[in-house]
Amino acid sequence: MRQPSVHSRRLAAAAVSLVLAAGAAACSGPQDNDAKASATDKGKPQKGGKLTVLNSEPQTDFDPARLYTSGGGNVPSLVFRTLTTRNRANGAAGTKVVPDLATDTGRPNADATEWTYTLKEGLEYEDGTPITSADIKYGVERSFAAELSGGAPYLRDWLVGGADYQGPYKDPKGLASIETPDDRTIVFKLRKPEGDFPFLATATQFAPVPKAKDDGAKYEEHPVSSGPYKVVKNEDDGRHLLLERNPNWSEKTDDQRHAYPDTIEVQSGLDSAVINQRLSTSSGPDAAAVTTDTNLGPAELAQIGSDKALAARVGTGHFGYTNYLAFNPKVKPFDDPKVRQAISYAINRTSVINAAGGSALAEPATTFLPDQKAFGYTPYDHFPAGPTGDPAKAKELLKEAGHADGLTISLTHSTAQNRETSPEVATAVQESLKQAGITVKLVGLEPNAFNEARWSATKSPGFYLSRWGADWPSGGPFLAPIFDGRQIVKDGSNFNHALFDDPAVNKEIDEINKLTDLAAAAERWGALDKKIGEQALDVPLFHPVYKRLYGKDVKNVVISDWTGVLDVSQVAVK
Amino acid sequence: MTTLPDLPASGAKAGAAVAVPAASDARQAWRRLRGRRSAVVAAGVLGLLVVLALAAPLLAAVEGQDANTYHDALVDSARGGVPIGSFGGVSGDHWLGVEPGTGRDLFVRLLYGARVSLLVAAGATVVQVLIGVAVGLASGLGNRLLDAVLSRFTDVMIALPMLVLAIALTAVVPNDFPRPLLLILVIGLLDWGGTSRIVRAQTLTLKQLDFVAAARLAGSGRWRVARRELLPSLAAPVITYAAILLPMNMVLEASLSFLGVGVKPPTPSWGQMLSSAQTWFRADPMYVLLPAGLLFVTVLAFTVLGDAVRAALDPREAGRLRVGRRRTSRTPAAADPSKDISS
Amino acid sequence: MTRYLLKRLGGAVLVLLVLSVVIYGLFYLAPGDPARLACGERCSTQQVAQVREQLGLGDPVYTQYAHFLRGIVAGRDYSTGTALLHCDAPCLGFSYQTDQQVTSLILDRLPATLSLALGAMVIWLVIGVGTGLLSALRRGGITERALTVLTLAGTGTPVFILGLLLLMLVCAYLQWLPFPTYVPFTDDPEQWAWNMLLPWLTLGLFESAKYARLTRSSTLETLAEDHIRTFRAYGVGERAVVGRHALRGAVPPVIALSALDFGSVMGGAVLTESLFNIPGIGKSLIDGVREIDLPVVVGVVLVTGTAVVVANVVADLLYAAADRRVALL
Repeated sequence: MRQPSVHSRRLAAAAVSLVLAAGAAACSGPQDNDAKASATDKGKPQKGGKLTVLNSEPQTDFDPARLYTSGGGNVPSLVFRTLTTRNRANGAAGTKVVPDLATDTGRPNADATEWTYTLKEGLEYEDGTPITSADIKYGVERSFAAELSGGAPYLRDWLVGGADYQGPYKDPKGLASIETPDDRTIVFKLRKPEGDFPFLATATQFAPVPKAKDDGAKYEEHPVSSGPYKVVKNEDDGRHLLLERNPNWSEKTDDQRHAYPDTIEVQSGLDSAVINQRLSTSSGPDAAAVTTDTNLGPAELAQIGSDKALAARVGTGHFGYTNYLAFNPKVKPFDDPKVRQAISYAINRTSVINAAGGSALAEPATTFLPDQKAFGYTPYDHFPAGPTGDPAKAKELLKEAGHADGLTISLTHSTAQNRETSPEVATAVQESLKQAGITVKLVGLEPNAFNEARWSATKSPGFYLSRWGADWPSGGPFLAPIFDGRQIVKDGSNFNHALFDDPAVNKEIDEINKLTDLAAAAERWGALDKKIGEQALDVPLFHPVYKRLYGKDVKNVVISDWTGVLDVSQVAVK
Repeated sequence: MTTLPDLPASGAKAGAAVAVPAASDARQAWRRLRGRRSAVVAAGVLGLLVVLALAAPLLAAVEGQDANTYHDALVDSARGGVPIGSFGGVSGDHWLGVEPGTGRDLFVRLLYGARVSLLVAAGATVVQVLIGVAVGLASGLGNRLLDAVLSRFTDVMIALPMLVLAIALTAVVPNDFPRPLLLILVIGLLDWGGTSRIVRAQTLTLKQLDFVAAARLAGSGRWRVARRELLPSLAAPVITYAAILLPMNMVLEASLSFLGVGVKPPTPSWGQMLSSAQTWFRADPMYVLLPAGLLFVTVLAFTVLGDAVRAALDPREAGRLRVGRRRTSRTPAAADPSKDISS
Repeated sequence: MTRYLLKRLGGAVLVLLVLSVVIYGLFYLAPGDPARLACGERCSTQQVAQVREQLGLGDPVYTQYAHFLRGIVAGRDYSTGTALLHCDAPCLGFSYQTDQQVTSLILDRLPATLSLALGAMVIWLVIGVGTGLLSALRRGGITERALTVLTLAGTGTPVFILGLLLLMLVCAYLQWLPFPTYVPFTDDPEQWAWNMLLPWLTLGLFESAKYARLTRSSTLETLAEDHIRTFRAYGVGERAVVGRHALRGAVPPVIALSALDFGSVMGGAVLTESLFNIPGIGKSLIDGVREIDLPVVVGVVLVTGTAVVVANVVADLLYAAADRRVALL
């Protein structure tokens, strides 16, 4: 957008000429002609240049202990290497776990309660000092400190002595269940079998932290990098990050990250409409920009539908995620399985998916597990509603349940504009249940009040919109928090919405956790999901699809099914 | 302190600019009003709108649609749910097209939206006038202490930023409270300061006049005087002022709904439709233009009618134009063209 | 003069206090738990309790409010469990959402709002006053009628409708401008101007209607005054009459009203900033309300209030300066 300067004194005339001049160069969006971009797309990715990441959510935490990531995160993974990491590959291949700092994904003992890792040789921090297994142990330990809370709860649950450990500041002796027999070996001792441990070892809590450089809560301002980039600037509480090359990182020890750009700048706290507009205009530095957290909205998709050049710059991804209607069977009338089944039959998934942004942004779900092999996806549809619902069948069931004259229920949803638990989706549910004679009253809560309500074991509503995402692509972290009766949390965040406690299910979960053959485990998770599904404790609605724009100069776009988002470590801008 | 700047000057501020017309013969005023072509046209438009809003269920039945039924087949799910067909899916079944994403009938939703807009605007105006007259009369007739307290209170109310407080209030009130009523109460309870000031000023003027003094001498009590002698004389300025408040309240309701704190779905309102339409201005312009056009025409009609009413009730002011303004200070005539600056 | 100023300021402080009490009280009553909000979706009860302690949310509301007031005057310290954060006076606290200091958050938002206010003011002065003068001088003609209708339409139109229509016309239909995305002036002045053009036009045109009416009526009033009639009678040219004298009558109220409006826009034009995603003070207010981010809301409302109060005083002073016939009481 180059504009001539205007010297005219006649303001009106000046305004018109300015506007016309802008028209020549400034046309945005659909009319943008980027034939050039598609031509250069085929060129090989080169090193150099600056990549800009435009995000809505600021990276408020940048301490490896506090980050709650799936597979080590996107931007954090540029700075923190972990024992294992996700495979940086397109689609289903990207759901595999691969070695990172370690030489393999971990060697379990016979019952998967002990995991041993050996570090690669020649690993160094950004300051050239060597990375040792003791630094990894220290990194894990400090995530137990109250002031560095925020990470996933698994470590505390799994490690022997983890439940009571207070972190290295209060308890400098450390955790006895993590052993470092030498500088390159580290052993984790678990209190129960966990075949998924290699997945957990992708989390940033498994990044090395040099004890000498640790200053507690302030560490996130200048974390010591083990990855291809180091943090040069972290301003406005993570709203603006500037990363530059770490000279002591070597491609020789890291076959996952490419690190093509010389610098990476993260601008966050931006409005989603702004992000999408900047990416579609793709002018100046925005031509080398991507987003890792902002979907295209429905109106933007409608616009892009007619523009091939722009459509070519949309990355599509699938992240293991399910949006569902949760029942609390402790609340009447949801104690009656017939009522729950009737609602399952009545759901019009076409309306719900349109409310979620249309078929480009959501795929119908009839299973609780995401429709990916890694999770053990086993197709089932116990209460077939078809694409638009089966109100006749629903009415029949309601009659059997003694609600021949219809039924009035409340549906709790959030007022956040996320098209997942938001009023649009709630209204679509309301309308489809109306066809079956069920009157739904909508109860919209502010996002934090909503979360408080739905994660409460004692006060959660009977019927609400909810969603669950994968901590890693496996059935365990998807099913266990929701359906393991021993994970019902009485005073705290309880994710077991149905307060479901079935000894047989609990036992099966334990059995699967013993498996270190992930494929075999996946199959059993799928079978378990199908079995639990018969109880109609929830109505799976849809699995979201990610549609995200990237700039004209962006090359080597890799989107794995692990994250569903283009991998920043793979992107090139030259 | 005032309302937020991108709202039209709120009633309270405009209020100070309304010169108080003397009580004039209602019949004469009516004749003057009917003589103004713009007033007749505006009244016609508003009358039509009220009829359409009242007849919404009937018209919906004629079209064969209702406000909330989804028509999934009429939107293109793969393209974000944009209506299929030209002009936002206009067809024999859906006269004004359908809503993106849901396929709900826009004609019926706009009609029901009119009900909400008109109801909230009128209801809020009634509340404002009731409170304003009560406080203004009490202030004008009460003793010095009461007057001082009430006047100070009115000043503070006028100075509070309306929109912010309204947003805050709508967030605090429990979910099951009926939203249109809530909006009426919020707008009405917050923005009565202007009416109160006018009524107080008028009361103080009238108190000095002969017929009131005569009534008091004849032994009528203070409140009896208020009811018998003052209230009728207050009718003209209050009606004038209410005519200005109406469109402002309508805009305020639309603004709150536009910001997402107005009526709750699935109840339609114009402001709420505009709020969800704002991202669709490229892909489905009809979705924006319909509620925007209706709101524009309605507010314009109210404004024109309000001006005409004012002119009719106070012929001396007929040649002048009302100016919305913000006034919390004793700025001598600052920005007040209706006052004689040189005096 | 000094007494007048002191009196005005006293009143202003009273209004601001009432305002802060009301807002504080309202949000204390609001549903939802700020501690959980500040902590995040998957926080445990212990973590939430810890945050509640850190933020002092367990104290009674009046204690919290007293701490807040003291912070404005004297600054205050916050404990985050490990570190002690100091917040200098005037301290408005920390955002629950981002842990950012509210004062620095407002300062961050200031440039965007200032950009909007300045440009919009230029437009309302040029277009509003120009239209008003034109319609006053062409009295009785078709021009006046057209302008009267236009300004009448303008006064009632909600600003977001004007903005949406402009967006449709300029961005979607004519494709003259891209959808505005705010670029800071310091990053790229040229981009800044292009991206602000539409918001300026929207807010400027919206306010113009008011200025047109004001200018028209004050000009007419001046033209009707005795001394103008005298000038005319003495054969002073119409140009000089209008230029030197009639205009002079229009200037003081326009300046005064501009000062008021400028102050209001500086306090945040919620609707305009929301529509165009301008990261200004008004946008932070509506975001704060949505996220029940009490410190941000209270802080922004107080700053908004202060801006308007200051603008009021400035308006009075400017008015007096521009029109010597008026003396401050």
